[in-house]
Amino acid sequence: MKPPGQPLSATATPELSSWGLVRRLLGLAWHYRAGCIRVVSLQVVLLSLGLAGLGLTGVGIDVVKASIVPGSAAPRWPFGLHPPAAWTPMETVAAVSAGILALALTRSWLNCAYSTAVARLVQGEIVTALRAQVYDRLQRLSFRFFDANASSSLINRVTRDVQATRLFIDGVLIQSLIMALSLVVYVIYMAHIHAGLTAACLATTPVMWVISVRFSRLVRPAYRKNRELVDRLVTVLSESVQGIAVIKGFAREGHTLERYTVANRDVREQNFWIFDRVTTFGPLITFLSQANLVVLLAFGGGLVIRGSLPLGTGLIVFAGLLQQFSSQVANLTNLANSVQESLTGARRVFEVIDAPVEITSPPGARRLPQHCPCSVTFDHVRFGYDPEAPVLRDVSFTVEPGQCVAILGATGSGKSTLLSLIPRFYDPCAGRVLVNGVPVRDLHLEDLRRNVGTVFQESFLFSNTIAACIAFGRPEATRDQIERAARVAAAHRFIERLPQGYETVVGESGKGLSGGQRQRLAIARAILLEPSILLLDDPTAAIDAQTEHDILEAMDSATAGRTTFVVAHRLSTLRRADLVLVLENGRVVQAGRHADLAEQKGPYRWIIGHQLADEETRRLLGAAPGVPALAGGGLP
Amino acid sequence: MSRTPPPLTLTCFQPNEDAETSEQPLDAGLIRRLLTYTRPYRRTRNLLFGLVTVRAIQLPCLAWTIGAVIKGPIARGDLRGTLLGAAGFAGLAALTQFTLHFRQLLALRLGESVVQDLRQALASHLLAMPMSFFHREKLGRIISRVTSDVEAVRAGVQNVLFVSLVLGGQMIVSALLMLWCDRVLFLMVLALAPAMWLINQAFRMRYSRVMRANQESFSRLTATLAESVNGVRVTQGFVRQDVNASIFQRMAADHSVYNVEVARTSAIFLPLLDFTSQTFIAMLLLVGGYRVLHPGIAMSIGDLVQFFFLAGIFFEPVRNLGDVYHQALAAMAGAERVFRVLDTQPEWQDDPAATDLPRLRGRVEFHGVGFGYTPERRVLQDVDIAADPGQTIALVGHTGSGKTTLINLLAKFYLPGTGEILVDGRDLRRVRAESLHRQMGVIQQENFLFTGTILDNLRLGRPEATDAAVVEAARRLDCLDLFEALPEGLQTVVGERGAGLSLGQRQLVCFVRAMLADPRILVLDEATSSVDAVTEARIQRSLATLMQGRTSFVIAHRLSTIRNADQILVLEHGRIVERGTHPQLIARNGVYANLYRQFVRATSDEE
Repeated sequence: MKPPGQPLSATATPELSSWGLVRRLLGLAWHYRAGCIRVVSLQVVLLSLGLAGLGLTGVGIDVVKASIVPGSAAPRWPFGLHPPAAWTPMETVAAVSAGILALALTRSWLNCAYSTAVARLVQGEIVTALRAQVYDRLQRLSFRFFDANASSSLINRVTRDVQATRLFIDGVLIQSLIMALSLVVYVIYMAHIHAGLTAACLATTPVMWVISVRFSRLVRPAYRKNRELVDRLVTVLSESVQGIAVIKGFAREGHTLERYTVANRDVREQNFWIFDRVTTFGPLITFLSQANLVVLLAFGGGLVIRGSLPLGTGLIVFAGLLQQFSSQVANLTNLANSVQESLTGARRVFEVIDAPVEITSPPGARRLPQHCPCSVTFDHVRFGYDPEAPVLRDVSFTVEPGQCVAILGATGSGKSTLLSLIPRFYDPCAGRVLVNGVPVRDLHLEDLRRNVGTVFQESFLFSNTIAACIAFGRPEATRDQIERAARVAAAHRFIERLPQGYETVVGESGKGLSGGQRQRLAIARAILLEPSILLLDDPTAAIDAQTEHDILEAMDSATAGRTTFVVAHRLSTLRRADLVLVLENGRVVQAGRHADLAEQKGPYRWIIGHQLADEETRRLLGAAPGVPALAGGGLP
Repeated sequence: MSRTPPPLTLTCFQPNEDAETSEQPLDAGLIRRLLTYTRPYRRTRNLLFGLVTVRAIQLPCLAWTIGAVIKGPIARGDLRGTLLGAAGFAGLAALTQFTLHFRQLLALRLGESVVQDLRQALASHLLAMPMSFFHREKLGRIISRVTSDVEAVRAGVQNVLFVSLVLGGQMIVSALLMLWCDRVLFLMVLALAPAMWLINQAFRMRYSRVMRANQESFSRLTATLAESVNGVRVTQGFVRQDVNASIFQRMAADHSVYNVEVARTSAIFLPLLDFTSQTFIAMLLLVGGYRVLHPGIAMSIGDLVQFFFLAGIFFEPVRNLGDVYHQALAAMAGAERVFRVLDTQPEWQDDPAATDLPRLRGRVEFHGVGFGYTPERRVLQDVDIAADPGQTIALVGHTGSGKTTLINLLAKFYLPGTGEILVDGRDLRRVRAESLHRQMGVIQQENFLFTGTILDNLRLGRPEATDAAVVEAARRLDCLDLFEALPEGLQTVVGERGAGLSLGQRQLVCFVRAMLADPRILVLDEATSSVDAVTEARIQRSLATLMQGRTSFVIAHRLSTIRNADQILVLEHGRIVERGTHPQLIARNGVYANLYRQFVRATSDEE
């Protein structure tokens, strides 16, 4: 089990401080300032309309009261708006009602505009841009990064964590701006009605603030842990699906389910802990805001009784304002949650965006023209995924342009690793890799990789049409070019036989094709690049003899003029090579042509010896009629 | 760049199960089914219903109290009464929040428990699905069932169910209080109800459609993303970063359109409801004012104020109900997808009457077996095999000739279309698959290691094996030194998909894993093809040890490895075209001899 809090980058980046994080998020918001300002100003208009509506209601009540309770104060009209003296109270009330309706209508319309504007800003712009940015970075990070990070966690960063990040803008920043604005306006309005009452009613507010801040500190680590536990759950599930054949093969469904159950339960336990805190905090804050109403009733009621506060525009409007005020303050809970959620998410998003791309083109990189013949030199190369445990030690050799190198060695001897240093999937710890005499570190990275065609040991195919799979590295290739590449890779015939030919969609990770077929598509994909350097990591491993024969024939023409590296053990391949490197524990222990190595005493002879068909069979085959070629060929 | 290419895509999305969406968003059946998941927690649930009722009464009472204090003591000028009233309000408020704490806590816990059970049900259902299911389904989609869809259901249980009950109850109670205060004004409230109902109705259809489209689009996005991350090495090798990034940017932008559409739809709905409640307040003022101003109708200004507060508490839920309704729709959509997975019937299941296999001797027979993954394309036809216990059967043939399919049938990953397969004389159809798998070791072309130490992975087939037993198994397969050479030996942690080990090393792990499980039937499907020749030479002998006394089926393209098989079956286009021992088949000079000749030519030392 990986520890849950593993560092994201292979070379650990220092963790962003919360302040640094907030500063970055503010920078992000600043980038979208126009949209933010639009949204906030809409909200300001809405706020004033709401207040006007409330004020009008109060006026309405006072108008009624003034006309039936003799001696009560005349209604306070806002903004010096007085109804014509000729109006009866009933007419005035009707006018006030109409005013309320008109305001409500405007507000509805503006509210609609507001929500749409928020969605456009947040989903349409911010989330889209952030997702693209995280994805873009993910595409460029070095292989080391992907060796060190579970893919499910990376996927979550593009989906869920980006949504959490944008929450900082609409759920925290805009929301708190609006909240602050409304609170100020409410307080001014309330103070305008009665300053003493306002002070008394708002006495609890500082307490709420302190509680909210403490709460937010308490739950921050809990939310983070929650994320990690959910990630782990997803990892367990995704492994179960990917490894389903193994699970079923060993009848291990029960055990797998158990592992999943534990992960599932952990998530629940963690959530329960959070729930306890959240449900204590929320009601407590609400109660504190209701305490304000108690003060209003007692103190404000007294004021009304003494006649120093009107009922409608005084007490009722005040009660309305206080309720609005409280609901904004109660939003503090949401705000506190949003702050946590967005900071946790943002940290995870920025971790990816900030992860250093360890392998980049140096400034003033040397260009490497396309399709130029390339020589490759390893100069005392030393490499280890973990510097403590070198996989390659002091490897040196030179390959002339157009030569073919076969690499041979036991499992784990460093063959694939050696290949991966040429297109700079990794950089050596010591020594240099040179192409055409230039260290690959000094070359323009894209030039280098475009000149290198790689057939990976595991042929990952994107689920797309076969034509698109082959054209992966050269999306603009014509169908003719694609078919030519497929022919070279001995894939054309089986593709033609598929129901939809080149338009057949192959499933996730190339499901629906056999290993050999996928491998051939991977070879076609590399050939289509017309690379000057071709890396074939055991390309014929999963292919039967007949198909291999086809491929090798075709490869002969494909490799012509290219510098080719082949990891292979078959004699047929080894014989063709201009240079055979035998690796043992990361060192080149033998190097030379097949014919010479076969003469020498050493591991090479032992390896090829094992592959020869036994004498008995040769005799039988030779004896069978119609095998002149073999019978004629001199047997060793 | 050519000028008129179709838009580039990274992945080709094939909608399957989500194609049809039901038009009924709030489906009673679905809700009932969801509720059955609360049954194990029925005490909590019932307690919640009680709390909900209490809350529904408390909230209007709070509002009523304010009105009553204003109308009563304040209007009368009774200071002592006012203070008493305020104290009463404080007490009631404290009680209300106390109830709220438990209402929320229990609802959250209930939701979480239901979600946990659902995730559990999903996982156990998935694990029980036959292999064909996993050949069809995309990983990303399966994951999103367990993450986003289940999350939507969580919101449904935690927020929708109980919140909506509180809100509904609050409306009813405040309506009753209004009725009690003033009949005419109450009738006005009733008059507005149909308007709200209509708005709700119109909105409902539209919203559910938009929501579903949005979730679909999100699934698409996630699936593409998952592949991009898994295939990132290929992307970099082929310098496709820019192309992919721009494709994804377009996808993300497309997806945002759905998101905005969802927001826009609710942006019309909510303000409309808000407007309705404002209309009510205006009407209240007008009608109430009229009645107060016209003596002879018994209504005091206090009643009007009282009503003002009650109206607030009556309309407050309407707005929230809208929010809750969104969540309900999302929860319905999520639940529907989750249940759809849970309802996916495996194409076949073990016969209920199927029994467990006793310890096998290892006789395997195929009688006239035919099979096709799709009915149109037969992959195997008329296959007859008889393998005696302990025999080694080699399967030879070109790619696509049906070798792996034959193995899949033997392992009961699929059921044969025609004919029957017998193990120790028992029809596989009447045998529980699990009991077969326990006595069967399948090592495939593609191996999979789980996150954990090498030791954990080795123990997969026999978790109770001691460390010593594991080490012994590795030694017998002559690969202990290879594991011990790793940085932390058997304790080395292998990452996701076995990262950190070479393909060959991973395959060795699979061998030892199978060895430990001590199966009676062993299947090696190109098992040594990814192991290099050096290592293969070392383990050929050990494989012989592994195969000793077990019935073994071997697929290998290095024909040298199958020379000693008891039977070699040559497959062509799904039929067995030749069978016999190596010398027999060579002597026969047919298909096999030809294949072997090619092989020898490829490996012979001379041109």
